[in-house]
Amino acid sequence: MSTAQSLPALAADFPAPQIAYSALSPMVAVFGAALIGVLVEAFAPRRARAGLQLAVALLGLLGGLLAVGLLAGTREVTAVGAVAVDGPALFVQGTVLALGVAAMLLLAERSLESGGGAIVAQAATVPGSADERALVGTDHLQTEVFPLAMLAIGGMLLFPASNDLLLMFVALEVLSLPLYLMCGLARRRRLLSQEAAVKYFLLGAFSSAFFLYGLALLYGYAGTVSLPGIAAATQVTASNDGLLYTGLGLLTVGLLFKISAVPFHSWTPDVYQGAPTPVTALMATGTKVAAFGALLRVYYVAFGAIRWDWRPLLWVIAIATMAVGALLAITQRDVKRMLAYSSVAHAGFILTGVVAATRAGLAGSLFYLLAYGFTTLAAFGILTLVRDADGEATDLSSWAGLGRRSPMVAGAFAILLLALAGIPLTSGFTGKFAVFSAAADAGAAGLVVVAVVCSAIAAFFYVRVIVLMFFNEPAADGPTVAIPGAFTSAALALGVAVTVVLGVFPSPLLKLADQAALFIR
Amino acid sequence: MGHVYMPILVLFVLAAAFAVGSVTAAGFTGPKRYNRAKVDAYECGIEATPQPVGTAHFPVKYYLTAMLFIVFDIEIIFLYPWAVTFSKLGFFGLVEMVLFIGTVFVAYAYVWRRGGLQWD
Amino acid sequence: MSPAYYLYLSAILFTVGAAGFLLRRNAVVVFMCVELMLNAVNLTLVTFARINGTLDGQIIAFFVMVVAAAEVVVGLAIIVTIFRTRQSASVDDVNLLKY
Repeated sequence: MSTAQSLPALAADFPAPQIAYSALSPMVAVFGAALIGVLVEAFAPRRARAGLQLAVALLGLLGGLLAVGLLAGTREVTAVGAVAVDGPALFVQGTVLALGVAAMLLLAERSLESGGGAIVAQAATVPGSADERALVGTDHLQTEVFPLAMLAIGGMLLFPASNDLLLMFVALEVLSLPLYLMCGLARRRRLLSQEAAVKYFLLGAFSSAFFLYGLALLYGYAGTVSLPGIAAATQVTASNDGLLYTGLGLLTVGLLFKISAVPFHSWTPDVYQGAPTPVTALMATGTKVAAFGALLRVYYVAFGAIRWDWRPLLWVIAIATMAVGALLAITQRDVKRMLAYSSVAHAGFILTGVVAATRAGLAGSLFYLLAYGFTTLAAFGILTLVRDADGEATDLSSWAGLGRRSPMVAGAFAILLLALAGIPLTSGFTGKFAVFSAAADAGAAGLVVVAVVCSAIAAFFYVRVIVLMFFNEPAADGPTVAIPGAFTSAALALGVAVTVVLGVFPSPLLKLADQAALFIR
Repeated sequence: MGHVYMPILVLFVLAAAFAVGSVTAAGFTGPKRYNRAKVDAYECGIEATPQPVGTAHFPVKYYLTAMLFIVFDIEIIFLYPWAVTFSKLGFFGLVEMVLFIGTVFVAYAYVWRRGGLQWD
Repeated sequence: MSPAYYLYLSAILFTVGAAGFLLRRNAVVVFMCVELMLNAVNLTLVTFARINGTLDGQIIAFFVMVVAAAEVVVGLAIIVTIFRTRQSASVDDVNLLKY
């Protein structure tokens, strides 16, 4: 039997592929800035690097935001069907870019540590060695973190726009690989940071292998990995349902890992705690927003026709995620870990919008993602300010009485916590209302009841922190609140402003999300 | 002559000529300095690889070189499908491949400038 | 020989990799198990390419190989860093972070 027998001959002439670079311009801007950043690392003198890197990164991100703005309303599939530029993709891209700007500002803040920022002086030095001690107090900085962050953000832009499982896998890796490295770059508590990097890397690689096996089985089922192609295959009566459901299940494992949904959440608290706080802020917001964008596209575009099969599964996962996230957050004694479990719980709340499987559910999820992103980013930003001699003081007990010592910072944190709890007049309430009402309209009333109960449980631990900050006596040897530098102030102001404005005056963005909420098929 | 396998024969001849030619040229152009390491046993025997005293691990520089090799080597894989179809892809294929190689070259420039290719 | 046997083989390889990931203790071996899983997927992809009669699967396998190589580089960098810190590559020693 000849090997060529069953392989198709190459078509005599096929049309040359087309790539509409204008539709890809947000990604071109970010990846271009990342490449320039690598060249800066290669050729610029060490003193000039940090400033140049920040300038290049911010230019790339703002250029990307501008491109997203100019592309608004575009509905186009390009690059031989691999990239879909449509409302949800652009909405998520805009959100990720804006969050990226704020995270980049947090990364660039250097006034909080003597000379450097949250990032290690020289990642290759062994913790505790003479080499490391020689660098303490110098303004050395591993400036590679900026191009790494840009590459991760580029992957986050590509992930929700992938109309093809192969490109989605590549985007998943492009966003994950730099983040694995960035987790290990903390200036303080380097052992914890390196440990977080190992854990995140090993579990991330494990989960992406599952995603990939799901991709392979779906390729076997549909003969193609394009999302519309899989959707077409699910609509004809098929004999190979085993391949379809196994593939869908394995694919879901990979996606649920990235949004840190139960039972694939166990890495979240460890990695969020060990990573440098600005990197945690980027992971907790950008990655989650981008991964939800991709998850929504996979479920709505490729598996929209078999939604009656996956909705029960996501029901169960949403309930487990909300309950586990909220209950375990109560038991935490560390503010950073508490926020990590809070991000798990929020993944569950957003999943209720996904379960709706309607246009309102999609619009609500998009709105929720934006609201959650800015609030969480600012909350992690505030963590960088509360410090003692040992770096960031994240132990809950040391936050007692912070409101008396530093009412501005504690007040801002209280607003953010109220938003995360979903109290009215904050963005969190609007977001929760949007996804819960969409889910209820789509016949998931039981799920909404559970979600409301979990919100109430979650509100308990958010409010507990507020009570601790404002109604407890400060400890004598408590942490001090650093005066934020210009960069951190800007990022915090952005986060708090979005949180309040979207709570008081949400209708323009709700309208925008509603207009955007239509996938191109 | 004109047989379909002729190009392969030519390739073999060229490859052999390159190997012989470069070894010969190195003999003429390279500096000749003898030291103790050169008379050591090759690959097998004692102290074939420079190992720090008291450990049984490979020095980190092997791992660095190996990693750089892997990542640059594997990029070539995309040249194979491209080489099969590049005449049909036309100008588009050329532009895309230049972009791809350019990206790889940026990484190479970084590795080179930051001393990743220096052995000592 | 039916191509389905290759699917069974790749499923077994994938399972061996996943089991190894969960059972082995050396970070490098754990990581090799992930690579085994990725290569099992490659076998699945090329088998389906033959069954379906399309070339896509083979091209996807190329992409998987490149991504796996990039993952090796990043992963080994992280594992070597932690090894230099602790003189141990056992995942059991990586236990500072817990509640």
